[in-house]
Amino acid sequence: MLEIRGLIKRFGGLIAVAGLDLTINQGELVGLIGPNGAGKTTVFNLITGFLRPTSGKVIFEGKNVTGQKPHSIAEKGIGRTFQATSLFPYLTVLQSIIAACYLRPKIGFWEATLHTSSSHRKEELSLGRALEITKFVGLDSVKDIPAHSLPHGHKRILGIAIALAAEPKLLLLDEPITGMNAEEVSEAIAVIRRIWQRGTTILVIEHNMRAAMSLCQRLVVLNFGKKITEGSPEDVRKNKDVIQAYLGVEKHAA
Amino acid sequence: MTTATLAQSILNGLMAGWIYVLVALGLTLVLSIMGIVNLAHGEIYMFGAYGAYYFCVIAGLNFLLALVISTLLIGLLGIALERIFFRPFRHGEFLTTIIMATGLMLILQTTAVISFGGSPKVVITPFPGVITIAGVTLSWERLIIILVSIILVAALFYLIHRTKIGQAMVAVSQDLDAAALQGINIDHVSSVAMFLGCGLAAAAGALMGAIFGLSPTMGGFALMKGIAVIILGGLGSIPGAVIGGLILGLIDGIIPPLLSSHMASLVGFVAIILILLFRPRGIMGHESP
Amino acid sequence: MKVRSRRKLVKPISWSALIVFLFLIPLFITSPYQLHILIMAGIAIILASSVRLVVTSGLLSLAHGGMMAVGAYTSALLVMKLGLSSWAALVLAGVAAGVIALLVGYPFVRIKGVYFALVTVFLAEVIRLIIEQWRSLTGGSMGIINIPRPDPIVIPGLLNMDFASKVDFYYFMLVLVLLILSILYAIERSRTSLTWFSIAQADFLAESVGVNTARFQVLAFTIGCFFAGMAGAFYSQYIAAITPGAFGFFWSVYIVIYMIVGGMKSFAGPIIGALILTFIPESARVLKEFQPYVFAGALMLIIFFLPEGVVSLPQRLKKLVRERFSHA
Repeated sequence: MLEIRGLIKRFGGLIAVAGLDLTINQGELVGLIGPNGAGKTTVFNLITGFLRPTSGKVIFEGKNVTGQKPHSIAEKGIGRTFQATSLFPYLTVLQSIIAACYLRPKIGFWEATLHTSSSHRKEELSLGRALEITKFVGLDSVKDIPAHSLPHGHKRILGIAIALAAEPKLLLLDEPITGMNAEEVSEAIAVIRRIWQRGTTILVIEHNMRAAMSLCQRLVVLNFGKKITEGSPEDVRKNKDVIQAYLGVEKHAA
Repeated sequence: MTTATLAQSILNGLMAGWIYVLVALGLTLVLSIMGIVNLAHGEIYMFGAYGAYYFCVIAGLNFLLALVISTLLIGLLGIALERIFFRPFRHGEFLTTIIMATGLMLILQTTAVISFGGSPKVVITPFPGVITIAGVTLSWERLIIILVSIILVAALFYLIHRTKIGQAMVAVSQDLDAAALQGINIDHVSSVAMFLGCGLAAAAGALMGAIFGLSPTMGGFALMKGIAVIILGGLGSIPGAVIGGLILGLIDGIIPPLLSSHMASLVGFVAIILILLFRPRGIMGHESP
Repeated sequence: MKVRSRRKLVKPISWSALIVFLFLIPLFITSPYQLHILIMAGIAIILASSVRLVVTSGLLSLAHGGMMAVGAYTSALLVMKLGLSSWAALVLAGVAAGVIALLVGYPFVRIKGVYFALVTVFLAEVIRLIIEQWRSLTGGSMGIINIPRPDPIVIPGLLNMDFASKVDFYYFMLVLVLLILSILYAIERSRTSLTWFSIAQADFLAESVGVNTARFQVLAFTIGCFFAGMAGAFYSQYIAAITPGAFGFFWSVYIVIYMIVGGMKSFAGPIIGALILTFIPESARVLKEFQPYVFAGALMLIIFFLPEGVVSLPQRLKKLVRERFSHA
């Protein structure tokens, strides 16, 4: 479904991504892991159009989407969340999701302004979908609360809900459970599993090793902008290079 | 165009350019350090002119002395204005600062009209005479304006790169929160920025006023030029303000005798539009905040 | 059943009453000077409301004065040089302003934050300069005078408006304002507006769910400038004389101030702001040269006590009252 070939991103003298080849097949739940600064979020930004690659290709469902604008990549079916909690602060949970339902159904300017019956129908459709998503992620009880006053855990789930509203075929989750307590983590993991079981292909960046191992079928390990290995969680856990990479980080931290 | 006229035009252009640089530097200091578009900047420039006029013509002091006194006083006035009009709103909405700046502009301008009268004042240049180099006549007053401006800008550069307060200002302009965490006193830095910003504008006004006369509405032109320079040279960039100011000044100096003053403005604006289309950050701009 | 349907009627009835009242105003306000103030307030309302539309998409435009100038000159020239009907000129003036916004929109919206506002300042200056320099077309800094009044509206037996008196202009303004506000309100209640809000609050997030933020922002800018152009056209047909200096930078700033002081977050905000800040300087006229102090003072006091604008006054009072009484 998603194919990355030779992806390179250079910022001046700094190489953030140093030639990445990656394949994600439809229906997979893949984890992208690696120490801090390995370039994981940069890869997300490159895939979703928020950054232009220095060279390399991103191919989605057979189409070359390298370097396109984020909104057209979203239209093609790739959704994402952001590492920093990103919301529409003054919209309520429900309003946020309705707003995020922009693509499906698309309501044109004229039909919206003239408040035609077709626009009303589409509005009802959006409302229905938004309510369904709210229930699906478990935010039903807080749907009328402005996003900025939500507790942290709910905020991150809302971020996922917003991404879901665009009905992505491939969902990129950037550290979805950061800052959550144990209870919120298990709820979030349950939500992510549900999304996956519904048929959405998922690529997760996760820092929490335990969560990544238990959630993902396959792991890809990055360090210094390069893939050092990939495979099932058991294989990766035992892999010497991976242990080195993480130990190396710990050494620096010590 | 003869060599003499060309030399004159370049001289005029450099003079205008350095004045634009002073005004733009003042404006960009306040903008990048305090995040405020000081719409009253033109009025500060105007008060600088009137201040120097007062100290020189009325109180009889030497012009350069009057310039220094006026600049320092207006700089101090700027600190007071910042405390009253801008600081209470620093953590609020950006748009609120536009209101305060406009209110300040109105107050300053009205005060000027009431105190100084609405009609322009003509002055006798404090630097009469010309000097002739290689058959080209250059007026002293223009040379002195350029010289004084260069000194002021050099002093500013020194301050920014070689002093602690200068480095603090750079830090605040790049990341306010990080700077605060490092222990930099934001209030202090803001006051200094305002002092410098207003001082530069006042000096520019005094210099221009000495040659071209004063009027309470002379500030509008300065504000516009300042904004144009900032856009051309790059938002948040000090070297950019210098480059942008000189470019616009030279355009305003050279094009009018060559073609017409109409074309000067147009060339200036076309240059800016082209920059914006191909490099919205300006010639030397950073990523916008 | 009867109680419920009566409740539903309260709103439309009060609005209709208000509109009828507005139409009846010239019956008891007859001084031309006072009508003039009302007409100017109407122009301010159109301008402040249309700039708010732009702001809802996350952009601050300080070019509205320049757009007004475009509208004013377009209308005057279309009527005087091409003999078009003043009504067609009114709409085409808006179109002219909108087209300019569209042309510069895409490169401009790439610039973010306060710098977009600065660039719009600059755009207005360019417009002013072009008007000043293109003497053969626009009369340069001397401007255009003797702009003809709007074409008369004659319905035999019912209506004969020749726009010789301020009363006719008042009605023209009233109908124009109500029309434009209705359109703006329809847009405000539409999905487009929600999308603009999402862009204004987190543009990258909106982009990530498929919103072409650039296109939406250009749309907002274009529509806002379209109505500013129409306001300019009305102005030129009313005042009958225009100069490039009349639409200077600070007029653009005042328009934004009307919006902020009234309250940016609500639709009614710019309307209230425009009314208050048109009436205050007029009532302070007696103070002559000290009048700007009053205006400046009013501005700053309002924004100090009510940072969210005058519209937030009822909310704030309620909060104050509640806090006072909760301690009791």
